[in-house]
Amino acid sequence: MSRRVGSSNDPPSPSASYYDVSDDEEGGYNTIAHANTGRGVKLLYSKSKVYVHPSPSAKDNIPGFIALVQQKSAPLAADERPGTASSSHSKSQNDASKYLLAWVPESSLAQDDFSTYVKVDMKDTESPPKQTYLVPPLPVSSSYDDSNVGPYAFSLPLSHIYSILVRPPNLGWWFGSIIINTKSGSSLPALFFHDSECESTILQKKRKTKESFDPFGEGGDLFWGGDEVLKWLKRYVTVERSTAEPSVYLINPSEEDLLGFGQGRKSLEGQGPNSDKQQSKKQPPGPGMDPLTKALKETRWKILENLSKITTFTRRTAQDLANNNNLPPQVRRLLQNPEVQTIQDEFDSARLYLARWAMGIAEQSERERRQRIYTARDVLETESSSVGEFEILDGTESMSLNDSKRRPVTMKEWKGYFDSKGRLQITENEIKERVFHGGLDMEDGVRKEAWPFLLGLYEWNSSAEERKAMMNSLRDQYIRLKGQWWERMIEGQATQEQEEWWREQKNRIEKDVHRTDRHIPLFAGEDIPHPDPSSPFYNEHSPGTNVHMEQLKDMLLTYLEYDTPPDGRTSTSITINPNPQNLGYVQGMSDLLSPLYAVFQDDALAFWCFVHFMKRMSRNFVRSQAGMRAQLNSLDQIVQLLDPKLYLHLQKLDSTNFFFFFRMLLVWYKREFDWSDVLRLWESLWTDYLSSQFHLFIAVAILEKHRDVIMEHLRGFDEVLKYINELSGTIELQSTLIRAESLFHKFEKMVEAIDRKDHFPAAPIEIRQRQGKGKDPEDNSQTAKQPQGSSSSNDASHQRTNSEADKEKVISPELRLLLSKEIVTLEENADAGARTRASGLKD
Amino acid sequence: MASRKKVLLKVIILGDSGVGKTSLMNQYVNKKFSTSYKATIGADFLTKEVTVDDRIVTLQLWDTAGQERFQSLGVAFYRGADCCVLVYDVNSPKSFETLDSWRDEFLIQASPRDPDNFPFVVLGNKVDMGEERRMISQKRAHAYCQQRGQMPYFETSAKDNVNVEQAFEVIARNALLQEESEEYGGDFSDVIDINLNPERDGCAC
Ligand SMILES: Nc1nc2c(ncn2[C@@H]2O[C@H](COP(=O)(O)OP(=O)(O)OP(=O)(O)O)[C@@H](O)[C@H]2O)c(=O)[nH]1
Ligand SMILES: [Mg+2]
Repeated sequence: MSRRVGSSNDPPSPSASYYDVSDDEEGGYNTIAHANTGRGVKLLYSKSKVYVHPSPSAKDNIPGFIALVQQKSAPLAADERPGTASSSHSKSQNDASKYLLAWVPESSLAQDDFSTYVKVDMKDTESPPKQTYLVPPLPVSSSYDDSNVGPYAFSLPLSHIYSILVRPPNLGWWFGSIIINTKSGSSLPALFFHDSECESTILQKKRKTKESFDPFGEGGDLFWGGDEVLKWLKRYVTVERSTAEPSVYLINPSEEDLLGFGQGRKSLEGQGPNSDKQQSKKQPPGPGMDPLTKALKETRWKILENLSKITTFTRRTAQDLANNNNLPPQVRRLLQNPEVQTIQDEFDSARLYLARWAMGIAEQSERERRQRIYTARDVLETESSSVGEFEILDGTESMSLNDSKRRPVTMKEWKGYFDSKGRLQITENEIKERVFHGGLDMEDGVRKEAWPFLLGLYEWNSSAEERKAMMNSLRDQYIRLKGQWWERMIEGQATQEQEEWWREQKNRIEKDVHRTDRHIPLFAGEDIPHPDPSSPFYNEHSPGTNVHMEQLKDMLLTYLEYDTPPDGRTSTSITINPNPQNLGYVQGMSDLLSPLYAVFQDDALAFWCFVHFMKRMSRNFVRSQAGMRAQLNSLDQIVQLLDPKLYLHLQKLDSTNFFFFFRMLLVWYKREFDWSDVLRLWESLWTDYLSSQFHLFIAVAILEKHRDVIMEHLRGFDEVLKYINELSGTIELQSTLIRAESLFHKFEKMVEAIDRKDHFPAAPIEIRQRQGKGKDPEDNSQTAKQPQGSSSSNDASHQRTNSEADKEKVISPELRLLLSKEIVTLEENADAGARTRASGLKD
Repeated sequence: MASRKKVLLKVIILGDSGVGKTSLMNQYVNKKFSTSYKATIGADFLTKEVTVDDRIVTLQLWDTAGQERFQSLGVAFYRGADCCVLVYDVNSPKSFETLDSWRDEFLIQASPRDPDNFPFVVLGNKVDMGEERRMISQKRAHAYCQQRGQMPYFETSAKDNVNVEQAFEVIARNALLQEESEEYGGDFSDVIDINLNPERDGCAC
């Protein structure tokens, strides 16, 4: 928001001062006529930073003012001058038509009017303003469709309001909200009170705390913007809190309304001050009793419908959702309606949509929380919530986002760490810590300098001259390797079989390069003719490729040359690579290479950095998939340890194969984050600063962030997979890194604690089970985690493990490995590792 | 009544890397073709609601990575499949030759109750690239499908949206039949045989 609210030099006065001056002003309006229209309505109260959230994305939120205005046509009689709330019962229906409740978007207001709204907002609202502020009248509307100030603006006579649904802020829904239901049966869009941006609310809160040492409102709830609106209304109309639906406030209710809404409550304890009149009478609230559901069905559903088309899912009834306490009550009630359930049948993907919506709100609240100072109350609240432990860790001092450690390392800073000979002057650990937390500047070229160090191509203790010499020799080697396959391509391979194998590899590489990061300008265009007329990408009428794609292909082919055992070829490659793994080209490799090439734009340098990158990544590509299996198994064990509740849930969903992390682990989140975040993430991971397996903690951080949604909304392996896949492009990197770091520390502490307890003898069966698991992670993950596999016996054992958690935890070798900073490689002989597969599919 | 129940039909799409599995699925579900789809890593699925003989069914189309190496970890979701689609590229003999392996691999991993009658549908994709490039003739593909229990065969182009709709209609129908036969528990090979006939009309022969 560019406009600042509340810069008013007009500090709120204590309520008494109004009465001191009011007599002087009495009678004559001190009218400030509106400049443009010459006529206007009297702005009695307003509150800023009240938003409409048209979609789950915070980007779309529209800031505005909620306001209570008085129509000028009905001048205020002296005896009607609002005084205290106690006179409310004498208020007639007619009077209510003079007052309008309105919401206007900030963007629709001219500068003058904007300041007027701000001024009124900042007035002390213990009483109506002594001065008259006029603003342009808003088109009176009973539903927001026919307004011309933007699709959501409205102004509605109080006499047309049937009820207001009030939802104070809480942990699940950080922003308090209200929904106005009209007598004609429609609902206005929900208004969200962003209290932390609203200066007047902040001041009111402060004042309340100062005066009464009690930050909570009358009902014992935290004071929030919506309270103010109810207070305004109570001055002009009767506001009755429904006993049956405590979140519903009825406006000038009729007898029947009171009966309908008063039903169903045993006692009146904890009710609002106005609800003391009605007693419970037996008249079940029929479906037509509250127009809310109907209205929501008609209005909000349209939004749901549109957005829910993103995915469709296994059909389920709306009932599951309807019982979910994390959903806003209006949505829950909407879903309880049988009629809506029929619609829901047609749009059951709405469930996932709603899950995501809930997540969006939670994310906002997280951002909000980060900006605040922690209080004991916050800690208590977070502790009682399921994610509490992690949230608290996130909030600790050392994890603050504004930490200077988290600023990217610039070229200048980097250069400063080296002496005149180009030798590192600080310790390796220090520089890694800087990069781990801050990353590298994305624009000044420092990455070109730093990445070869991080990837292990340059020794940390080398001098500039040594590095230069090494690079010269490596450039030669690159050219030799490249020349080798190039020559064979022209002269023909040794055998027919080799010939075919090579052609096949070449096709694969080509196919993938043409599908790799084409959204990056470097790889996007096609401006040179394809060199090979036999390629499917060759087209005599159009260019077909570009120089950078061709470079990627050459580098991947050269890597193939480098990684393939010589077998009848020249001996050059033996000296260059004593341990070829013979992986062949495997999908995902192009994804790993392209950022290196894009940053260096130097094929030899990119190639050798890739060779070093592959040292840690090659286990992802071996034929047996043992490396991927091992990592998924480690994830399984971390989650068991760090979040047993979530683990049990995943087990119920047949999802403990953790297959939904396959893509993230294989190419290090390349598909989940956008380009610049990938570069930033990778350079952190390359440091091995905390662990060489930190990428697994990134996975757990992502999982933890969504654990509530997963536990409450997702009902099967397919849904988990889809949900996780669709996180792509939505994950915020910085907070994920921080969460991953705190999860790592938590993990570390747990391992320490368990090791300490390890002196005590544990139940023998449990140990055997655990050790068995440790010895043979592969088979275990294979048999125990087939989604449709027999889970009952497993369930039982895990359940037991869980319930006796603290006593019997033993740290498996896999888990211990996660504390190591050494790169994990998988020594797998090319052929020995290849599992013969029943079908004979060969790769 | 069983037939009144809403059904989810699980369809697995297999075939060599780059034959166009992802493109076909997106053409069918989202009605668009893009040259910038990335190579599939791991697995994903799209769903689409269709009407088959007055019944509304939800197709859950599973797309996996084509590189064989990745199959060993991804087989978990083969289970419970109602139909398997085998895709090859008519311009790539290799992709045609591996169809058998894909079929066998599927039968081993999914272990359907009645493997002999499990519905497969074969798609020969990228027919838009021109006859000069074509390596597998329609005749050869037909003979192959005939031999393997009369698998329905379609020649498609995900790029130009040729035969995509027709192919998936047959896929949906076969999947539904399979689902029903599984539901009744017995091996209703008769029923399937009878119902296979109309599908062959939909075949792009
Ligand atoms: N001309 C033409 N090209 C196609 C067609 N279908 C796919 N392609 C192209 O073939 C390449 C591979 O397509 P994908 O759909 O990604 O192939 P895939 O089978 O999903 O591949 P994997 O995910 O690696 O298993 C891409 O470059 C597509 O643009 C088609 O019908 N005609
Ligand atoms: Mg694909």
